Amino acid sequence: MNTPTHDHIVKSYDAEIARLAGEIAAMGELATAQLDAAMDALHKRDSRAAQRVADNDDALDAREREISQDVLRLLALRQPIARDLREILAALRIASDLERIGDYAANVAKRAIGLNLSAPVPLASGLTTLTTLAGELVREVLRAYATRDAQRAHAAWRRDTELDALYTGLFRELLTYMMEDARSITACTHLLFIAKNIERIGDHATNIAEEIWFLVYAEPLKRARERGDISPGV
Amino acid sequence: MNAITSTNWYDSLIAATVAAQQPVKISARDLDFHYAGFHALKNISLDIPAKRVTAIIGPSGCGKSTLLRVFNRIYAIYPTLAARGEVLLDGEDILDPHFSVNRLRSKVGMVFQKPVPFPMSIRDNIAWAVRHHARLGRDEMSERIEQALRAAALWDEVKDKLKQNALGLSGGQQQRLCIARAIALKPEVLLLDEPTSALDPVATGRIEQLIEELKRDYTIVIVTHNMQQAARVSDRTAFMYLGELIEFGDTEKIFTRPDKQQTEDYITGRFG
Repeated sequence: MNTPTHDHIVKSYDAEIARLAGEIAAMGELATAQLDAAMDALHKRDSRAAQRVADNDDALDAREREISQDVLRLLALRQPIARDLREILAALRIASDLERIGDYAANVAKRAIGLNLSAPVPLASGLTTLTTLAGELVREVLRAYATRDAQRAHAAWRRDTELDALYTGLFRELLTYMMEDARSITACTHLLFIAKNIERIGDHATNIAEEIWFLVYAEPLKRARERGDISPGV
Repeated sequence: MNAITSTNWYDSLIAATVAAQQPVKISARDLDFHYAGFHALKNISLDIPAKRVTAIIGPSGCGKSTLLRVFNRIYAIYPTLAARGEVLLDGEDILDPHFSVNRLRSKVGMVFQKPVPFPMSIRDNIAWAVRHHARLGRDEMSERIEQALRAAALWDEVKDKLKQNALGLSGGQQQRLCIARAIALKPEVLLLDEPTSALDPVATGRIEQLIEELKRDYTIVIVTHNMQQAARVSDRTAFMYLGELIEFGDTEKIFTRPDKQQTEDYITGRFG
């Protein structure tokens, strides 16, 4: 692993890379805030709040376009190589993952509006746990990105299996409700899609973790795992 | 896991394996070089693969041009300079005084940073060099000249004005003429010392394309300050610093994940 020990001779290059990292951090905050707001609207059955979340997705898309533009400019003007190139590619990929996370949050909000059209149903107990964990994973990989901590990213990556297990449990739970009472099918279907969206958010968090790993070690995380070359204790 | 990164990883593994299998053309063993009390090359050992392009990069004064010059013993014109160690060309030590300089130069051609055409016609620029090493009849000589100019991708531009003075050619054409002159001697190795640093981007592109074509027949060693050029044209890259060989490996690896921090700092413009 080669960690830069010096700044670039051309200072503005460092400033541009730092700016890119700052934009990712800001986009990450926005994406997680969208997820929180969508869940809040779901719990409170607040359709107007849910609509705001759906509308705000444009802001996230705009951020992604800005990052793409910055990446394009850096590639064209700086011709980055080695670690610099991985930094810049990671930013592009992470931005695209965050944009998808935002899409899923907006989908959750739209489903919440759909749910409010029918009588209230008790939210499946697993849904809150699932969402909390997904949000935590996204925040954790963003913290790992901020410090370029590949081991921390890997620790978050491993927790995706917890999320998958929770999702499978939730799926069974909702299926049981539907079998018990056919009138709950519409609402439970909405909830199933919400759960699926949140499970997908977890997948994008693992993508980000993999991108951090590649940024730091210049090789795919899965290959390092296959080789058994992961630091002990992780 | 991203499919793209995994494919690149696989490709670089394959490339490294192929490079490793290529026979060695020049092999430096514990090479030391001093001049005027300055230790210019320190214990250099490296294998230059045959019919591949090897780039030598490093900051000014790192010894990369000196290393290139040792490969055709150009330093021998200064009697006080001496290299210690071994440089094997196809297994024969070229530093051995019994290895004649004339024979060495016919096997190892060199092209310099600034094109140095002789102040004579385009044809004679090549003929003069060939006559130095071989006796050819008129037709044979014409054929040799055409071959060399074609190989250097200059033939179409000069075929109707072979008798004109070479100094009238553009910088890029002059440099290709110098390459043609080196090729005309049918060398096995071509040493290029900053061959495009005095050329515009179009002429540079032509030389780089030429290098790609020439490596089918020749072993090429290029010294360049232009990192992107080293990345574009070479198969193997050596990074030198303060007379030492810091890292030598597959070009793709050196420019994507070098082993040494010093290499990474240099190629990413962080040297401090």
